[in-house]
Amino acid sequence: MSFLTPLALLVGLLAIPIVLLYMLRLRRRETSVSSTYLWQQIVRDREANTPWQKLRRNLLLLLQLLLLALLAFALARPYINVPAVTTGQIALLLDASASMNATDTDSGSRFAAAQRIANDIIDTMNAGDQMTVIRVADVPEVLTGYTADSAVLHNAINTAQPSNALADWTAALTLAAAGGASADNFNVLIIGDGGIGAASEFPPIPGDIEFVSVGRSDANLAITALAARGLPGQNPELFAEITNYSSTDADTIFSLSVDGALFSAERYTIPARGKLPVVSSALPENYDTLQAALTSPTGSSFVDYLAEDNAAYAVAPGLGTRNVLLMSTGNRFLEQVLRSLPGVRIFQGSPDIGLPAGDFDLVILDGWLPNTLPQNDLLIVNPPSSSSVFTLGEFTDQTSGIHVRRDDPRMTFVDFDAVNILRFRQIEADWAEPLISAEGGALLLAGEADGRQIAILPFDLHESDLPLQITFPILMTSLLEWYSPEDVFDRNAFVVGEPVALRLPADAQGVRITLPDGTSREMPLQANPVFGDTEQPGLYTLDLTHLNQTIDRAYFSVNLFAPLESEITPRTSLTLGQIEITGGEEEEIGQYEFWGWLALIALLLLLIEWSVYWQRTRAPIRFRSLDLQSGRQKQPGR
Amino acid sequence: MADSIQLFDESTQRKLEQLILRASQVRAGAIKGERRSNKRGTSIEFADYRSYVPGDDLRRVDWNIYARADRPLTKLYEDEEDLAVYLLLDGSASMDWSSEGGDPQHQKFLYARRLFAGLAYISLVTNDRLMMAAINGDQLSSFGPARGRGFGVPMMRYVGGLEARGATDLNSMLKRYALRTSRPGLVVLISDMFSPQGYLDGITAFLSKGCEVAVVHVLSPDEIEPPMAGDLRLIDVETGAGQEVSLDGAMRDLYMRRMTEWRDGIRMDCARRGVHYVFAPTSTPWEKVILYDLRRFGVVK
Repeated sequence: MSFLTPLALLVGLLAIPIVLLYMLRLRRRETSVSSTYLWQQIVRDREANTPWQKLRRNLLLLLQLLLLALLAFALARPYINVPAVTTGQIALLLDASASMNATDTDSGSRFAAAQRIANDIIDTMNAGDQMTVIRVADVPEVLTGYTADSAVLHNAINTAQPSNALADWTAALTLAAAGGASADNFNVLIIGDGGIGAASEFPPIPGDIEFVSVGRSDANLAITALAARGLPGQNPELFAEITNYSSTDADTIFSLSVDGALFSAERYTIPARGKLPVVSSALPENYDTLQAALTSPTGSSFVDYLAEDNAAYAVAPGLGTRNVLLMSTGNRFLEQVLRSLPGVRIFQGSPDIGLPAGDFDLVILDGWLPNTLPQNDLLIVNPPSSSSVFTLGEFTDQTSGIHVRRDDPRMTFVDFDAVNILRFRQIEADWAEPLISAEGGALLLAGEADGRQIAILPFDLHESDLPLQITFPILMTSLLEWYSPEDVFDRNAFVVGEPVALRLPADAQGVRITLPDGTSREMPLQANPVFGDTEQPGLYTLDLTHLNQTIDRAYFSVNLFAPLESEITPRTSLTLGQIEITGGEEEEIGQYEFWGWLALIALLLLLIEWSVYWQRTRAPIRFRSLDLQSGRQKQPGR
Repeated sequence: MADSIQLFDESTQRKLEQLILRASQVRAGAIKGERRSNKRGTSIEFADYRSYVPGDDLRRVDWNIYARADRPLTKLYEDEEDLAVYLLLDGSASMDWSSEGGDPQHQKFLYARRLFAGLAYISLVTNDRLMMAAINGDQLSSFGPARGRGFGVPMMRYVGGLEARGATDLNSMLKRYALRTSRPGLVVLISDMFSPQGYLDGITAFLSKGCEVAVVHVLSPDEIEPPMAGDLRLIDVETGAGQEVSLDGAMRDLYMRRMTEWRDGIRMDCARRGVHYVFAPTSTPWEKVILYDLRRFGVVK
């Protein structure tokens, strides 16, 4: 045992003034009493009966001297040498990936075990050693910068939480390497289960790398895929995959809930290190969300140590819900192109009967106009007459020099170079902008009038070769996209930690996303906000709100689906690029300081000293004299 | 009457006037007093009959009975007698004690003088032969003999003028006083009993004279439960002697236990000798000692 600050032992010299003060203090206070008759008897009896009474009189002094000795000893920071995993400038990488939630350790989860190991390592740091703690999750996070203060380090370790995401080891090691560039004795210490992946893109680390492995079992079942696909006219299909990562066969119950209600539950046996696909075409036609879960059958001996990957979520694929009404006396080209576009349901009407009732996303008026234009979005092809929103001019055959407005996103990939048009009619509409124009005037106008989106093609498709060109379906797709944009997301399935880019409609007044745990976040009304809070696996609900009323709702799912995390087999060594790191041994000498225990004992002594002092000087409690009064009545013989 | 107002008020005085001191064990009064004797005598209170024997006063023969029963019976009447009352007050310096910051009414000597005067007043009102003495060191300041209400004011003046001083040896002073008593009577000793030389011999001296003795033991509450703490040097106000004490919780408990044992010891000693013992902490009203405690022993009726 040695001392880090041996000079502090000089504090022990305070014993001299304490003894002096004690001797001075023993000058007794003089107090008058009516008679010392009884006191004399008591003191005589007491001194005769208890020889250790004199020692007791000095108990306070002894306690105070012992307290001082302990404090001086603690201040001198005594330590003993203990074997340590690593010393020097340490970057501690604490694995907080999803697999660290596995409960195959004595401390509870692997993460708790890693925290315990990290705390032990902090206790064996030498004087002058510094440590930084980096929590390695999807985004590595520096919990504390380089410090030698073990309290700060313990606090950083103890307040860390495991994540549900895949860890980004490359970023974490880059972060660690950056801090150690100038240090002499730099060490990187990785505490985790070794689920680091085989990626080779690891940065060069300036110092040694130590690895301490946690976990001891590979028993885990996981849902590694869940998807539903819907084709127009067909029942949606489910595809799921259950993977057994353990070395024994496992029984499990695969239950499927549709819109929160249990739909089916079946028992499967998955062979060791095998996969089991689950395919079902019996899903109901209209649903929003799917939730799959694995549960252990009663009596099964298989213990699934990682619960985080036992549930998976999916959202119904967007089905063709754009209803398009085609009012035409017969236009095979339009019918064909609309039929070929995904997500479009065509309704056909006849100008002879007039506009049918119904809720349509788009009405196409081909060579015919009703007396009053409907309040839907409109695509007007070859209008026969003027209407309330535009004025029709004369036919013109000046169709050469076609110009497409390339800066408009609606015209991306639209190519009119090879399109020939016989004639078209000039149109006057100040609300619309010409997207395609020829010498004689606009060939395609689009804009908003009276709160609806209107596009006009002022020529008969039969009098052009546009329908025969490849650009026709592209143009129609772009227009349809403009009329009613697609869903708010590109896709509706994400993995944990992945940011979700949102595409908000122009008229969105408010966006609220409800997380699987029930909390909700209001999103800023930017053009394309990104939602990054996808740490929890589960179903997320996105509400487009207006005056706090939900006007549209969409779902997206967040799943773990990470074989690297579900494969919880603990590794005894790590491969970082070309380097193989085996499990850390306690090869170095660390210093274990125990002044904290001394301080604790000193505190206890202080309490005892206080209690002894109090016992000696406490004033009598008033109610005792009342007791005496009442007791008087009971005295025998009175 | 200034001193009597200081010692007790008028309502207490009225209560006291209805009382009478009694000594059941004391025989033969000297002159007629106001108390019923257990002897038969000449008062007007009828007590009993007995058969006529020659020589009886013929005036006392009940002629109605004789006419009916043809047998002479003599009527007996209760006798009335007086009582010699000796009131003794311990006037040592230890009696001049009141607890620090406590109620000044709890001052031991004031309390004891009130008892002293109260008992004396009863005695005077009932025409007893009253002798009072306060013991100051080896001196006695006496009052009396006195008889009748007329001595009320001088008695009060005497009690008001008493002082507590000196160290008292109860034994020798009681014995000295007992030698001077010529007549058996009721002896009431009011003291804190802090007498290292003891008190039993003194009391025995009175008992051997045929007196009936009552001891009123007066203590202040802080003597029963000491309020101080710490390392102390206790100075005896009576003797000036010092005693070093480290007063902690255990020590205080020990003192209180010792105090109880001491009081119990005095009570047992008294009980063995037929002496009435009344413990009177000054926190209890002094009238209660006369009206309740002494009454229970039959000393006051």
